Amino acid sequence: MYLCPVLCLYSRQKLFTLLYMLSLKHNLLTWCTLFVLAPVGRTVMGQNPIVRDQFTADPTARVFNGKVYLYPSHDIPAPAGQRQDWFCMADYHVFSSENLTEWTDHGVIVTQAEVPWGKADGYSMWAPDCVCKDGRYYFYFPDAPRQGRGFAVGVATADQPEGPFTCEPEPIAGVTGIDPCVLVDDDGQAYIYWAGGPMRGARLHADMKHLDGGVQEMQGLPDGFKEGPFAFKHGGHYYLTFPWVRHEGGTETLAYAMSDKPLGPWQFKGIIMKEHPNRCWTNHHSIVEYRGQWLLFYHHNDYSPHFDKLRSAHIDRLFFNADGTIREVVPTLRGVGVNAATQCIEVDRYSSCSTGVTYAYNDSADTFRGWHAVLPQAGSWITYADVDFGNLRQLNTQRALRAKDVGGVYLVANVRAMADAQLVVRQTNAKGRVIARLPIKVQQEGGRHRDMRGQWVTLTAQLESVPEGVGTLCVVAEGAGISVDWLQFKVREPYFSSVAAKAAPATPDSEGFIRRWLVLEPIAKPNPSNTVFTDSYLNEAFATPPFAVDQRSMPKDGQKVKVGGRWLAWHAVESERYNVKLFRFADLLGMQPYGVLFWAATVIMCDEDIPDVRLAAGSNGASKWWLNGEEILLLSGDRRMVRDDGASARVSLRRGRNVLHCAVINGPGMSDFCARFIDKQGKPVVGVRIGEE
Amino acid sequence: MRPLALVFFSCVCLGAKAQTGAPYIHDPSTIAQCDGKYYTYGTGGGGLISDDGWVWHSGAERPGGGAAPDVLRIGDRYLFIYGATGGGLGGGHNGRILTMWNRSLDPHSPDFHFTTPVEVAASDGLEDCDAIDPCLMLDPTTGRLWTTFGTYFGNIRLIELDPATGRRVAGNEELDVAIDCEATDLIYRDGWYYLLGTHGTCCDGVNSTYNIVVGRSRSVTGPYLDNVGRDMRQGGGRMVIAAGDGVCGPGHFGRTVLADGVEVMSCHFEADFDRGGRSVLGLRPLLWKNGWPVAGERFRSGTFEILSERRGYALELAVDFVRLQQERQAWWRIDPDKPVNPVPYQQLSQVADTWPQGAIGVRCGDYMMRPHQHWTIVPVPEAGGCLGGPYCKIVVEGTERALAATATLELTTVPVFNGAPEQLWCIQQLTDGTYRLLPRAIPGKEGVNTTYVLYSVADSTPTLAEWDFGTDNAKWNLKPLPQR
Repeated sequence: MYLCPVLCLYSRQKLFTLLYMLSLKHNLLTWCTLFVLAPVGRTVMGQNPIVRDQFTADPTARVFNGKVYLYPSHDIPAPAGQRQDWFCMADYHVFSSENLTEWTDHGVIVTQAEVPWGKADGYSMWAPDCVCKDGRYYFYFPDAPRQGRGFAVGVATADQPEGPFTCEPEPIAGVTGIDPCVLVDDDGQAYIYWAGGPMRGARLHADMKHLDGGVQEMQGLPDGFKEGPFAFKHGGHYYLTFPWVRHEGGTETLAYAMSDKPLGPWQFKGIIMKEHPNRCWTNHHSIVEYRGQWLLFYHHNDYSPHFDKLRSAHIDRLFFNADGTIREVVPTLRGVGVNAATQCIEVDRYSSCSTGVTYAYNDSADTFRGWHAVLPQAGSWITYADVDFGNLRQLNTQRALRAKDVGGVYLVANVRAMADAQLVVRQTNAKGRVIARLPIKVQQEGGRHRDMRGQWVTLTAQLESVPEGVGTLCVVAEGAGISVDWLQFKVREPYFSSVAAKAAPATPDSEGFIRRWLVLEPIAKPNPSNTVFTDSYLNEAFATPPFAVDQRSMPKDGQKVKVGGRWLAWHAVESERYNVKLFRFADLLGMQPYGVLFWAATVIMCDEDIPDVRLAAGSNGASKWWLNGEEILLLSGDRRMVRDDGASARVSLRRGRNVLHCAVINGPGMSDFCARFIDKQGKPVVGVRIGEE
Repeated sequence: MRPLALVFFSCVCLGAKAQTGAPYIHDPSTIAQCDGKYYTYGTGGGGLISDDGWVWHSGAERPGGGAAPDVLRIGDRYLFIYGATGGGLGGGHNGRILTMWNRSLDPHSPDFHFTTPVEVAASDGLEDCDAIDPCLMLDPTTGRLWTTFGTYFGNIRLIELDPATGRRVAGNEELDVAIDCEATDLIYRDGWYYLLGTHGTCCDGVNSTYNIVVGRSRSVTGPYLDNVGRDMRQGGGRMVIAAGDGVCGPGHFGRTVLADGVEVMSCHFEADFDRGGRSVLGLRPLLWKNGWPVAGERFRSGTFEILSERRGYALELAVDFVRLQQERQAWWRIDPDKPVNPVPYQQLSQVADTWPQGAIGVRCGDYMMRPHQHWTIVPVPEAGGCLGGPYCKIVVEGTERALAATATLELTTVPVFNGAPEQLWCIQQLTDGTYRLLPRAIPGKEGVNTTYVLYSVADSTPTLAEWDFGTDNAKWNLKPLPQR
């Protein structure tokens, strides 16, 4: 009952295709679980396909209120009881984007159950359109009517492009077919075009809900199956664009004709996009100008490789020649839209690649989990255009201890290799300046190392250079082939800010914590466990420090001391937080953060004697503290860095200059400390100055 | 710190400072129940099963490996969450938090099937977080599902999941709520959210310094402060449990509410001294003191006064009070220089003959240090137990006369303990530190009794009645007798 009108409506060619598709074995079971998203917080759209959690076919894009609105058909796997091998759509969603990168799904706007004249279980909500006239939004859609055969076209209206839409009680009289498209001319006159049999068009009444005058068959179009008209006006020309099967037994191209009148006659001009190489039978499109760039929206069966009636919307740029003709658009994976470098960059949607590079599903049973790029051998490369580095160069320097040290920006990549290899990210192309080198060692021996061959791993690397502005990345495999899922540039948290040579003294923070210190580069002191840091161990270890130090005096920023044959420098730092993350201090210097001894010192300037105060400190791991050369506190054993973990006996801060030293030792933990002085009431001492005057 | 070594255990039965059976596990998930059995899952995959909550054995199954899982029943499904290390090459801090569902915990059930794991959070190895050791908390006030995760490597982070899907709530941002913890857990009680974290060092056997601390907040998003107002982001935390009683290194807290006022905490002990220093499952009563959770003590056998919380009377055999003889002097005639002779306590042998031979009833009365008021409580090893404790017999000290439940929901004593279920008692410490005592079975009633408890229906009259934490009638104090 239901199949008949469909078969009657469709041309012989489509019927042939249908029979062809029926002859294939489709594994529809794969579509039972469609709900896996890419990793949380990482997904950025903007590549093709543009919507990653559902199917989106026949994408009609319109620009309303400075945003792009997308009104696609919503392909779904056919529910039980419906034909399993045919198009199946029960509702429409609308999406919007301001940057063509992030798309907001505003949800369902019309469902088949709420169309007054439609069949509640027709599953025939095919390609729609939406236009704005006089501030009101008119959504045109085909549906199977409750009575009769074939398709009718209805209208739903709303005050906003995302709805809510209200369906008109009856379909548009005189329109029998599919794929409605409406052109509102500069003079306000609207025209409607549709397919299903010969391509037809008509004037729309001023109310946008009725035909005004007769239906015309579009003249001047080429022979061969056509559907999906999309009409628009540009540079004084009217364009009628449409999917077209140019060869007997072929699949759809996108083609176009031009005219100086809205309803033709038309002059056929040629192809906008060739047939899909994988024989995805349909294509369906719209053309829109947004922020000075013309865009072609079209579809392809990316997420459904074995069944071409579950399709996904793409965007690529479209350009006109001077005479108004349209240049052919070659479909890309990359699509349009700029990626912030700090968002997840799905490089499997590459812009270009070397010979032999392919891409593959992350999970062929759940294609919505996306793809990864396969760079088969050393030297293979891919490029990815339009990555915006924003202010990363500045942040890279700001968050470093010194300009020449490890920077504040790093690369994260999800990669896989079968042998030790290196992923190299370069600017612009395979010979461009190196941004980062990421070693992928999968065959390390011994200890806790596991065989990571063929395993996905998330790795980080420091940057060798930081690009500026918007540019192209090139990912190159070195040493061996690699697979890459995504890249991301991340900015480290702020740990320290630098202290200028003649900076004025600081004050303790509002809780009394001393944040300005001179910290010595870490001294290697391997220890497998923190439980060995007994009082005896510490007293012995610190009785004769491994370098010449006088706990009564302050070293100077940049001063070097010789420790075990190595020269280590003192650094003046201001911690960005209440505690001093020594682990990160070493890390930012590119030095060993574990199994080391840190030494730090600071000056406390007082206007008068402050008696009866205590040093309250916490450290990870054990620590020893000296005030003006006197040992005042020992935190021994397996310590956590806890605020006020231990306190000294009552001491006096004397008028003028006081020197505070501390030594922190750690095994495999993350070294840090916090220190403040507290008074008799336990209140922080804040009325002092920290640092040399 | 946490060396990323996974610890594997074999099954050997030794003494029982913790659980009996083969309770070898690290980072046990909060105890989950499925079809009357108890389950807990540990680091590295797999987990333990118990039929009764006391005898544990291996056999629970969880794929995915990784660290410190948690399991929560939501509706008719179980949500698993775990941290997968392995992002890093050679043990870095690249972690991933994954969730998956199962309709059953029983590997032999036809419903036992895990869904494909879904990533809900990750750490890249360089940031101040290590995305492993997750927990699950369904907020009873809002129905929202929360997870904290992280280790000593930086911050403990809070995220929100969708309880319908187990996925991250769209747009949810990670929030730092603590530093320097491992195996955190979130719980809600009485208007407070509690964040429990493990401090110290694991995986160093009998030298592991692991201990569990807690902070609390009126909001799930914190700040979590300890009892002196210190933020857990500054290392704050009040001790819940540390080493003691032959075990050390408690870690990975979990809370199980058995009934109103009856709570059990689960953890592992890094080392059980009686079991060669192996890491074992620990179950302890969970007590609440001034709004803070505190681990109760493992129940130790011994001889006790069983005192009603209602009146303070002692449970006793309903037998004749036998007066003690004493050489008495009028108080105004006491000669302080005259040497004193201690009065001997009444001995069982002095009174036993006065007791009837058969069943003897029980009652409560003023405690007078008499043999009919002294009860020896010892586990019955072959009888199994209830969650966290063994079934015990309760006998009059020096005899085999055992306290038993009757079919009419009253109490009696039988002359000789014979192992019948109505003579076996589950002894559970309550959140306020008192105890409830449940007979394993009521004669004539099917199944294990979880309803009827020893109850003061009048000051002097103990009976069995339905559990009600709201009344002192249902609560008892077990006061160990001093060595005599």
